[in-house]
Amino acid sequence: MPKITVKVDVDLCIGAASCVTIAPETFQMNNENKAEVLDRGLIPDTPSYERTMEVTDSELATIMMGAESCPTLAVFIFDEEGKQLFPEE
Amino acid sequence: MRVVIVGGGVAGTTAAEELKKQDPSLEVVLISEEPLALYSRVLLPHYIKGKVPRERVFLKKESWYEENNIEWLPGISVTSLDPDNAFVSLSDGRELPYDRLIIATGGDVRHLPFDLRGVSYFRNLDDTEHMLQLLNETPSGSPAVVYGGGFIACEYINLFAYRSLPTTICFRGKHFWNSVLSNESGELINNHLKKNGVTVLPDTVLEKVLGEKELTGVITSNGELPAKILGVGMGIELDRSWIEKAGVECNRGIKTNEFFETNLPNIYAIGDAVEFYDPTVERSIQAGNWLSAIVHGRTVAKTITGNREEIKLVSSYSTNALGLEMIFIGDTNREAADKVVLRGKTEDTGITELFIRSGCLVGAVLLGRNSDRAPLTKWIQSKEQIESHLDRIQNPNEPLV
Repeated sequence: MPKITVKVDVDLCIGAASCVTIAPETFQMNNENKAEVLDRGLIPDTPSYERTMEVTDSELATIMMGAESCPTLAVFIFDEEGKQLFPEE
Repeated sequence: MRVVIVGGGVAGTTAAEELKKQDPSLEVVLISEEPLALYSRVLLPHYIKGKVPRERVFLKKESWYEENNIEWLPGISVTSLDPDNAFVSLSDGRELPYDRLIIATGGDVRHLPFDLRGVSYFRNLDDTEHMLQLLNETPSGSPAVVYGGGFIACEYINLFAYRSLPTTICFRGKHFWNSVLSNESGELINNHLKKNGVTVLPDTVLEKVLGEKELTGVITSNGELPAKILGVGMGIELDRSWIEKAGVECNRGIKTNEFFETNLPNIYAIGDAVEFYDPTVERSIQAGNWLSAIVHGRTVAKTITGNREEIKLVSSYSTNALGLEMIFIGDTNREAADKVVLRGKTEDTGITELFIRSGCLVGAVLLGRNSDRAPLTKWIQSKEQIESHLDRIQNPNEPLV
């Protein structure tokens, strides 16, 4: 299973919540109207703007779609080696 | 089969991408009036503030279209549609036949009947470059005026504050979103702006701009104001000339069902230009926002490729004016609601307005009450009957769940 890091750039996030709608198991809005990263709906520790997790290929596809739907490109996805998968550089 | 898409914004481009994903054998032609690859209009305020460089606002490279086998016609518009013979005429004089046609033309920004250097609009990248130039020529401390009481006005207020320009805002009604919000909520926004140094002039009409070569002021129904820069946000309108002439049924937008089919065979409409039947709130609505445009694009692609699926989305739009978060969810048409109840009052730090129809929650506006967002979105989605526990809901100190 691929291991990825999902990070929300709080400064860019405007609270459009498109990631939450597309990938609700990975993202949720907090009281600051910013998107936080979850681990498949589980919250093993405090909610966070950055999280590393193991995902299936289909989960990765959904998370990517959530990131792609963000109008401010505030969601960044990195692979295990730290290579940025999205947005494309 | 050839699918012609009119409009290269996020709705049209998503439809093109999704069509090719669903059926790579389709011939997809994407006509875009703007001569630029897809970019995010939502990122434009970030670009003006210098948070992202110009190249970061682009979501597609120019090479993307060819790589994905999409025939892209930038800088071209449609001048007429012949639905009987199934072709569109283009601004370059060509006629383009289609098997399926998707109209995703969005809206045009409403303009004042007068113009002068210093008057700015905020819709596309061109407007943004123009505004950036104006702002760079405007020393901090210069007077700025905003005209309008909606989402674009909020963007101007934030930008002018960021540039330390003392700002006066004028709008026609008593408050922002005059036909949507109650006076209590409207007053809360007005008070918040005033507290943050903005001069608020309700019930004010802009009558004239002053200045010979450059803007020096404006004349309003409430007197004259000095202004070095004027930001206009009066909403958008649909350029429906060729669409209506062809017999496509329009109301406030192009009318479609929940699959984005218009009244004419093989013609579809999506995005800001459409007024579609939304099964979630059981009414025809307009939803001009980013995620709606994406979901419209995906849904219409499924309709065309035979994988019909009605739209399922609680649309939402979020903005912020000088730190006050404002979130609109679902159907917030006041006239179409049986009842609108408030959670909170003007003196509080926030108010949530709940729009109820047939006992169900169909829409909500949250001012400074972000934590209400998730439960209310779920209630709209599940058509929750809330009539019986309105007393508890209206108490702003009681949690919703």
